[in-house]
Amino acid sequence: MTGAHWAVIGLLAVGAFAIRVSGLVAGRRIRDSRHAWVLDDLPGLIVVSLVTSSLVGQPLLTWIAAAVALGIAILTDHVIATMAVGVSVFAALSWLGV
Amino acid sequence: MKHGMISGAVAIVPLALGAAVYGFAFGLLASQSGFPWWGVGVMSVSVHAGASQIVAVEQFATTGTVLGAVLAAAALNLRYVGIVASLSQVLDGLPLGRKLIAIHITGDENWALTMARRAKSPDVGAAFLMGSGLVMISVWTASTAGGALIGAVLPDLERFGLGFAFTAAFIAMARGLWRGRGRALPWAVAAAATMAAISFGAPRAYGIVAGALSGLVVISMMRRITQRGNRLGKKGRAAS
Repeated sequence: MTGAHWAVIGLLAVGAFAIRVSGLVAGRRIRDSRHAWVLDDLPGLIVVSLVTSSLVGQPLLTWIAAAVALGIAILTDHVIATMAVGVSVFAALSWLGV
Repeated sequence: MKHGMISGAVAIVPLALGAAVYGFAFGLLASQSGFPWWGVGVMSVSVHAGASQIVAVEQFATTGTVLGAVLAAAALNLRYVGIVASLSQVLDGLPLGRKLIAIHITGDENWALTMARRAKSPDVGAAFLMGSGLVMISVWTASTAGGALIGAVLPDLERFGLGFAFTAAFIAMARGLWRGRGRALPWAVAAAATMAAISFGAPRAYGIVAGALSGLVVISMMRRITQRGNRLGKKGRAAS
């Protein structure tokens, strides 16, 4: 492993941790401000954006499996059940060549 | 504390297994870029940010420049400002040292699971986050180092739907974070903004930041309209 490899690891670690610490500081400041509501709404918005980002540009079978997973999530509100059904539907559709 | 950590550690196992698949694939990529298996392990345990590690190694492999690789990876991690900020109440009361450990072992999966569980039960807190985070960072580190050692023999698990497991898990977590019809519009705007940003060529991570910020703007506008309506209502009642 060269010095450049070590530099990538070291700088990545420092950068990732610095971003997390800035979130910690920002969170404390926001909580003490009149914008404290942001902290309640941010998790849902980030998760929705995460889901959307993983669906953009994906084939139809991914969207169908996601719709089924959403239905299961609404009915059960259970992470493992949603994962199990979602992955099964995805695998079945993939096997069928959708 | 111990009970909460065990509870978090158990709950995250299905997601950790999914992460292990990506870990193996990343380990293989990193080993082909000249990182030894132990170097990959050191990177995973010290950085603990899957997507940005993948981008950094890809950039380093293609351009050979350290700074470009690190800047691209750091940009991908910007969402962690919001993720960690939202943990403010969860981490409240912990000593600084534990807070720093907690934010280092926080990833998308254990953060979202903690927040979704907390929405149902306010007792879920830092212990759950840390228990689930310790499992995630351990599995991520072991699988990436393992991938660098034996990744080439791994079959293509993506076609069996394991890649979709994360999407399904996050859909379930979004359900857990749903706070009623009043949030339908901001959530829809967040999804639309994410989709638009990525469709116009922005990296996935920027799309997530754009989506979350757009949703916050909509909620802010909705709050102003509600507050103005309340003020007008009070004036009307006072006048009559």
